[in-house]
Amino acid sequence: MPQNEHIELHRKRHGRQLNYEEKKRKKEAREVHKRSEYARKALGLKGKLFAKKRHQEKALLKKTIAMHEEKEQKHKADDGAPQNAVPAYLLERDQVDRAKVLSNTIKQKRKEKAGKWEVPLPKVRPVAEDEMFKVLKSGKRMKKSWKRMITKVTFVGPGFTRKPPKYERFIRPTGLRMNKAHVTHPELKATFCLDVLGVKKNPNGAMYSSLGVITKGTIIEVNVSELGLVTPGGKVVWGKYAQVTNNPENDGCINAVLLV
Amino acid sequence: MPAYNFKSMQVVPPAKDFIDIVLSKTQRQTPTVVHNGWAIQRIRQFYMRKVKFTAQSWNEKLTQILDDFPKVEDIHPFYSDLLNVLYDKDHYKLALGQLNTARNLIDKLSQDYVRLLKYGDSLYRCKELKRAAMGRMCTLMKGQDASLKYLEQVRQHMSRLPGIDPNARSLLLCGYPNVGKSSMMNILTRADVEVQPYAFTTKSLYVGHMDYRYMRWQVLDTPGILDRPLEERNTIEMQSITALAHLRCAVLYLVDVSEQCGYSLAQQAALFHSIKPLFANKPLLVVVNKTDVRPLEALTPEEQALVQGMAEEAQRISNGGAGAAGAEGEASSLLTMSTLTEEGVMAVKQTACDRLLSFRVELKVAGKRIADVLNRMHVAQPKNRDPNARPPVIPPSVAAARAAAAAAGGKAQRTRKLEKELQEEGGGAGVYSADLRKHYDLKDPAWRYDIMPEIIDGHNVADFIDPDIDAKLAELEREEEQMEAAHQAEMAGVMDTDELTEEQAADLAAIRARKKQIVAGHRLKKASASNRPVMPAKHNAGKLQAAKLRAQLGGMGIDTSAAEARLRERSQSRGRKRSRSEAPGGDGDAEMADAEGTTPKRIHSSKSRAMSRGRSASLAAPSPGRGIKDAGMANKAVKLADKAQRKMNKMAKVGEADRVIQSKMPKHLFSGKRGKGKTDRR
Repeated sequence: MPQNEHIELHRKRHGRQLNYEEKKRKKEAREVHKRSEYARKALGLKGKLFAKKRHQEKALLKKTIAMHEEKEQKHKADDGAPQNAVPAYLLERDQVDRAKVLSNTIKQKRKEKAGKWEVPLPKVRPVAEDEMFKVLKSGKRMKKSWKRMITKVTFVGPGFTRKPPKYERFIRPTGLRMNKAHVTHPELKATFCLDVLGVKKNPNGAMYSSLGVITKGTIIEVNVSELGLVTPGGKVVWGKYAQVTNNPENDGCINAVLLV
Repeated sequence: MPAYNFKSMQVVPPAKDFIDIVLSKTQRQTPTVVHNGWAIQRIRQFYMRKVKFTAQSWNEKLTQILDDFPKVEDIHPFYSDLLNVLYDKDHYKLALGQLNTARNLIDKLSQDYVRLLKYGDSLYRCKELKRAAMGRMCTLMKGQDASLKYLEQVRQHMSRLPGIDPNARSLLLCGYPNVGKSSMMNILTRADVEVQPYAFTTKSLYVGHMDYRYMRWQVLDTPGILDRPLEERNTIEMQSITALAHLRCAVLYLVDVSEQCGYSLAQQAALFHSIKPLFANKPLLVVVNKTDVRPLEALTPEEQALVQGMAEEAQRISNGGAGAAGAEGEASSLLTMSTLTEEGVMAVKQTACDRLLSFRVELKVAGKRIADVLNRMHVAQPKNRDPNARPPVIPPSVAAARAAAAAAGGKAQRTRKLEKELQEEGGGAGVYSADLRKHYDLKDPAWRYDIMPEIIDGHNVADFIDPDIDAKLAELEREEEQMEAAHQAEMAGVMDTDELTEEQAADLAAIRARKKQIVAGHRLKKASASNRPVMPAKHNAGKLQAAKLRAQLGGMGIDTSAAEARLRERSQSRGRKRSRSEAPGGDGDAEMADAEGTTPKRIHSSKSRAMSRGRSASLAAPSPGRGIKDAGMANKAVKLADKAQRKMNKMAKVGEADRVIQSKMPKHLFSGKRGKGKTDRR
């Protein structure tokens, strides 16, 4: 016991209060009542938070109980393999199912041929032009209004330079430019922060695709070289498509799902 | 010099609490309501402020933590090694480093989101951005939960570390487990360390303090060390090793000569020799303990040789590694003691302290900085003025007395008892109380034990006593007697005429009646005053003055017409007279009659006790159907009603019975333009 643990020292020398155990037991017994009283009283956000916490606790409790019960139960091995010896003609039965996997690349090629992908977000809310653009006034008397500022997140390539103001119809503000995306691999169930290579398609129109506007549902190309994906030929896959799943202008980041 | 006190570090909350703290702080200290019709600029600012504020509070909190925890490199090597032993330096640095990274990330995050907020074009978008910013900050910190928890544990442990000052004078006890280090500590200091008959009772460093030569000394009790390579030592042993390695102290290597600790003398000697490098540049003593069980003389020659070997080695190390063992001669490095009988413990303490002290002085003298001090120092050595000898003057009587004493043989000559001897006779310290008045120098020695009143502000009671108070008192008493006699004589003359004349009796009755009247009037006024609005006197002045005048003066039998006329003249308005306003009512006695006449029906409570007392019984039962049981209850109800009403009435506030105009300017009558129609319809 270290030198300054006065409480422990005292406890060691003189023991606890005589009714300590009794008090502790009572306090524990009272705990449920106190909690229920609080649960009844708590209003608003506090109530919500409390309910959520309690719900989690209960779920955990149930899970643990279920696990304990499972330990006592006896059930069959569920990998499908029969326990006993199997006749020769049945040996391959299971493996046939598993073996029938079409190569990923073939799938990809077929899709590309068809010109469409099966994407996680098949439909998106159309974005109106006045939501997408903000009209900027220009000219000496500030009465010309042919300039537009894009109010959504955009991607511009690394070698981008702005046009002279006279010819720049669409302004993509630097504050809203992004070049990283959080891409989730649906099978690995893991998320990576990857570089954006380009905007493949914006569902709202070809013009937006060419401007590099990124909204929800946009297909972007990301640099997956970090992931170490390999083609059947043995080459490292560099770029891959991903679909944006959030509203980047509202969240301040791009979340996307890798299309595989 | 930094004080090594780790008690002031603030609590490091776990991630969940941390998040709650910061978010609730944001909620409390930034505006919370966005009003309709705010310009987008203002909305953006509102949310930017929230984001910035949150990031700022995270930053403050994390900075606080990072500043609180000592940097391993900056503190004394003893502490930095101790931290390494106890908490693992890498882990410690990693945790702090992660917090530092988190702090930077949060700052960057807030910058990013503030920039994005500048482009926010709707309330919704701004709000979502703020939400995302806060969410990301919280997620970041949630990831730091493990390091926060670790740091909190470290903090708690650190705050309970013994307050060892690495630079102070200290004695360090070391040796095998169970050789008597802690019991020696208990004898030397008041640290009250636990002593048990098993190994590794002491599992951490303990510090105690003692006084020697009017200086403060630290005594460090270390856990026992086993003889094995450094890599195999556990945390407990490593603490002692750290202390040995980094503290500049006198080391007492304790040897259990009885071998009751379970280790033979040979093993103890082996340990001594193996940790020898740690003793370098320190005064070292080999202390042989438990001599009550087995004295040093009872050892076999081989064991003697072992002990002597250790002692010589210790001597050599103490002398700075030089082989001059016999240089200091009698100052041996081998001491014996018994912590059970406390024999020799004080000798060990003194030797060790003296050694350390001289060692420190030597070190200081050898050091560079001593020159700065010596330059400033000057010790005056007065020279002899002339060769004459100037012995002290001893009076011949004293010399004779001394000679006599010497002849008689020393102390027997002393006649007076010392106070110390008196104390021993009177029951010892704590029982005997010294006589302080014995030597008071007073005119008459008999006064010494007189009771003396307390003295306050330089005076006592005696200072306030008049010397001729007796004479004054006698004078006063005489005067009083005279006056009393005179009064008796006077009264004797008056008391003769007992009856009043008829006229006088009538006057007396009138006076009494008038008094009663005044009292009744006053009561009435008081009763009403408690519950009725009082008209201020200035409003009342004009109308009632004349009547009052008449009633008052007329009642005394004075003709008031002149006074009234004068009053009227003064109060008359200018211009044409109005006949009606002239006379303020002929019957001025009306109030009076009312006051003394029939008692008014009781509808209000009064403050006067008479109103509430004892009438309830004689009153008729209250009318049925009001839910009132009896007169007592009715009384109470009245009282309650009045009480509720009192303040309102007193302040002349608007009550429910008053006429009310709900709204003086109804909107539908005043808003908009007036059409062709009526003025009161729009």
